[in-house]
Amino acid sequence: MSRNSMQWRQRPKLPPTHFADPSIYSDPDLFEEEKEKIFKHAWWLAVHESELPAPGDFRTYRHPGDAQLVIVRGEDMKVRAFLNICPHRGNLLVYAPSGNAKNLVCIFHQWAFNGKGDCVDIPREKAGYQERICRNDVALREVRTAVSYGGFVWVNLDDNAPSLESEIGSALDYMLPELEAEPMQTLWYYQARLKTNFKLIHDTNSEFYHDYLHIYNRITGMLKPDTGYFQRKYTAFPGGHASVGSMNVSYESYKSSGRGQLGWPHLAPNGWKLVDLFPCITFNLRTSVLRIDSYIPVAPDDVIYEFRLLGLKSDSPEIRRQREKDSAVIWGPFGRNLHEDLLASSGQGMAMANGSEAMYVLQAREEDLTIHDEVGMRHYLAEWSRRIGRSSSDPYASERLAARAA
Amino acid sequence: MTHTVDRSELEELVYETCARLDEKDFKGFLGLCDPAFAYKVSAYAPEVQREMTWLDRDRAEIEEFFGMLPKHNTDRNPLSRHAQVTKVRLDAARQRAEVTSTVQIFRTQLDGGATELFAVGRYLDTISLQADAPRLLARHVKLDTRDLGWGTHLPL
Repeated sequence: MSRNSMQWRQRPKLPPTHFADPSIYSDPDLFEEEKEKIFKHAWWLAVHESELPAPGDFRTYRHPGDAQLVIVRGEDMKVRAFLNICPHRGNLLVYAPSGNAKNLVCIFHQWAFNGKGDCVDIPREKAGYQERICRNDVALREVRTAVSYGGFVWVNLDDNAPSLESEIGSALDYMLPELEAEPMQTLWYYQARLKTNFKLIHDTNSEFYHDYLHIYNRITGMLKPDTGYFQRKYTAFPGGHASVGSMNVSYESYKSSGRGQLGWPHLAPNGWKLVDLFPCITFNLRTSVLRIDSYIPVAPDDVIYEFRLLGLKSDSPEIRRQREKDSAVIWGPFGRNLHEDLLASSGQGMAMANGSEAMYVLQAREEDLTIHDEVGMRHYLAEWSRRIGRSSSDPYASERLAARAA
Repeated sequence: MTHTVDRSELEELVYETCARLDEKDFKGFLGLCDPAFAYKVSAYAPEVQREMTWLDRDRAEIEEFFGMLPKHNTDRNPLSRHAQVTKVRLDAARQRAEVTSTVQIFRTQLDGGATELFAVGRYLDTISLQADAPRLLARHVKLDTRDLGWGTHLPL
């Protein structure tokens, strides 16, 4: 029997941890709170060190806390991140997404900065500033940077935030043998701009009940009892992170899988491990390739999805080709699964847009923490609620109480 | 039998491949391809200064790929491919032609009919002249566009 408006908007008769108010996915004010309370204090995966192999190499990064960053490998081989802004007149220091330069030189007035962020040249310095401003006064603003967990470069705008290690805790330990087996190499990097909320895509990575969306996952896993598909369990870690146990993917069940015999050091043949990190990073190691999803939330209904594919630095061209081929079957812009995932997440964004009459979102499946349990989403939103200071199932409770009191 | 070819025949082949794909007539498309057909889509990523190969299939793989399409959830909004042949190089000794085209691919929304640019790039085609009519031996779609939104299951 269909529901009328009141019934449709009724809170589910479930514990508040088991459903979410749809406004957390669309409200512009809540998005601004996320920016202030989460994005500006979280560790973000900006680049991989293989993207800056040589002294002077740089990469830019659009930080979700509304900052433009440039990440540089200095002459001392240390990787540092700076605000990508010239301290003189506020111009972008670096325009290209990558490159190499002995010094970063602002195109506007040719102020120059080295890989440590020191100002090393101001044209006609003494003539204009005499002794009133010196180079030491105008160094770049350095942003906290850590290179860890397989050579990824993490950044944090908050000088006083807890360390990366304390934020990640033991969430990535499960994948560390594979991440640290050998130096890795970024093979693909691309972006996809999507009209949806970043948490909706991260949700998709945090629950596998949505494998009904993917025929590929159904026939290579769900319908094959010997793969261990239904035995996989979620492990929740402090900080909103979660991992999913490995399985033995039956690739031969899908025609055109194009898979070779290639694997990954320390990972079981046809193995698959996945770790979701708060606020929106996923490490997804599937047999022969490591996929990293990271998101740059731009607005409540606008997100830049960053896709990285990594192989090993030691790969021959033939092995690299096979890794790309393995990945391309299911991932990438033409992949069987990723297209389906992004269609569904975008569909959620459209259906639950701000002002729509969206219902409470259910995340109520309980299956002893196994693969179709929705504990990953619940665990994520518990951390979100803690950081925002609002319940994800009732984010406006305090305003409602205040209005009643008034 | 070696086929004597003029440029217009090669151009027509390129445009016909676009038309077959626009119509999702995959059987018709493969009918224009050589038995040794190979298909590839790549794009250069300035961010990491690397060429990314997003699809890399031989004929058998692409046939299976087409065969599985109906079983997937997919974007149903049609694509239309607009190619312009810019260069033809005949290699008489190998009975082949190398044909370069610029291509723009548009997507039209089924709901409302708005059309948006989906991708731009080039077709780098190798055409066999060994049969009674030119046949597409290899197509490398070299994309300039890298942000393809939610992507597509269809070859471009």
